[in-house]
Amino acid sequence: MIDIFTHIQKTLDQTPHLLRLGRLFSETVLIEVDGEEFYLTFEKGHLVAVVEGPSRKTPWSFALRVDRDALDKFWQPLPEPGFHDIFGFVKIGRGRVDGDILKLVKNLRFFKEVMALPRGMKGA
Amino acid sequence: MTIEAITGRYLTVQIAGAPRRIYFEEAGQGRPVICLHTAGADTRQWRHLMNDAEITSSNRLIAFDMPWHGKSLPPEGFETEEYLLTTEAYIETVLAVIDGLDLGKPVLAGCSMGGRIALQLAALHPDKFSGFIAIEASDFQPAWYDIDWFHRPDAHGGEMGAALVSANISPYAPNAERWNTLWMFMQSGPGVFRGDLSFYTKDDSLIPRLPTIDTSQTPVHIIVGAYDLTCTPEDAKRTADAIPGATLAVMDELGHFPMSEHPEGFRPFFVDALAKMP
Repeated sequence: MIDIFTHIQKTLDQTPHLLRLGRLFSETVLIEVDGEEFYLTFEKGHLVAVVEGPSRKTPWSFALRVDRDALDKFWQPLPEPGFHDIFGFVKIGRGRVDGDILKLVKNLRFFKEVMALPRGMKGA
Repeated sequence: MTIEAITGRYLTVQIAGAPRRIYFEEAGQGRPVICLHTAGADTRQWRHLMNDAEITSSNRLIAFDMPWHGKSLPPEGFETEEYLLTTEAYIETVLAVIDGLDLGKPVLAGCSMGGRIALQLAALHPDKFSGFIAIEASDFQPAWYDIDWFHRPDAHGGEMGAALVSANISPYAPNAERWNTLWMFMQSGPGVFRGDLSFYTKDDSLIPRLPTIDTSQTPVHIIVGAYDLTCTPEDAKRTADAIPGATLAVMDELGHFPMSEHPEGFRPFFVDALAKMP
């Protein structure tokens, strides 16, 4: 998973429209994959740190909890129905979004496109 | 240079005892087909079909912007009004437009909330129509989101709405049409998407009416996209099963805005639906 988050970090820095969309986004997001925690810290749209958990001390604003198989399907070039969007995970019972959802919704296009950056990447 | 065959005009009708200036577009000749847009959008969703010469050679497609949407202004005094669409107001608006345009008994094609109201009209006013094409239409779904997210002073409701509804667009949709579809949501007026969703996510009055629809008089054909998270194929099937004689088509590679997000993918399903109508 760390490799994929590193890929996201590098690709995001080379994607000007996402940096513009995320310019007001400075938050830590918890991504939990098969129970493993990853804390992604964003600063003005840049992904500045990815820290593996578990941690009870790291504050986060919202969390996406999902299984790895669902994420792999999400990252296919043409995902199956339900795996084509992070809210699809919730709808089909393969994921959960919690925490400060409004913060997510205010930055929804940014966050969705950041999460989709590995789409089509070999090995994702 | 191309000039499209679509023409746009305005019609003023009385709704709830007050005038509404309604923008409508039309193309083609022959059987009238009135086309209803989804929540938070407008007539532009139908432009691909209205530019389809084969379809418009025998069908007169008419689409209109609901009040508050597109080029139809909100009613006078809107500045202090909270926009909340109701089933009753929606029905009154559709009937006023078909009467105002003297359409006789048109086919009604509606998508999403337009599909929902198509089924309400099939139950309550079948004498006014010749048949119903209900797209991404179902009996009822409560919201899986908080509709108040989309109307607040500290964020852009249109941008948030577009980001949310992108969950309902198929990955097979051509990129340009995906973004043209989302642009309409980004452009919708403050509180309009919320006001549409209020009707769509809270009024479940259609459920007991479905078995009363007489498809021997007015056929009902439901079309649903597999990538639609809001009205899923299961929702559409449950709804079709509750209407004696209704037919259902599932589009494997489309989402919630088929005529707009993927016009080529939707075309055969719409042509097939038109063939089922009188």
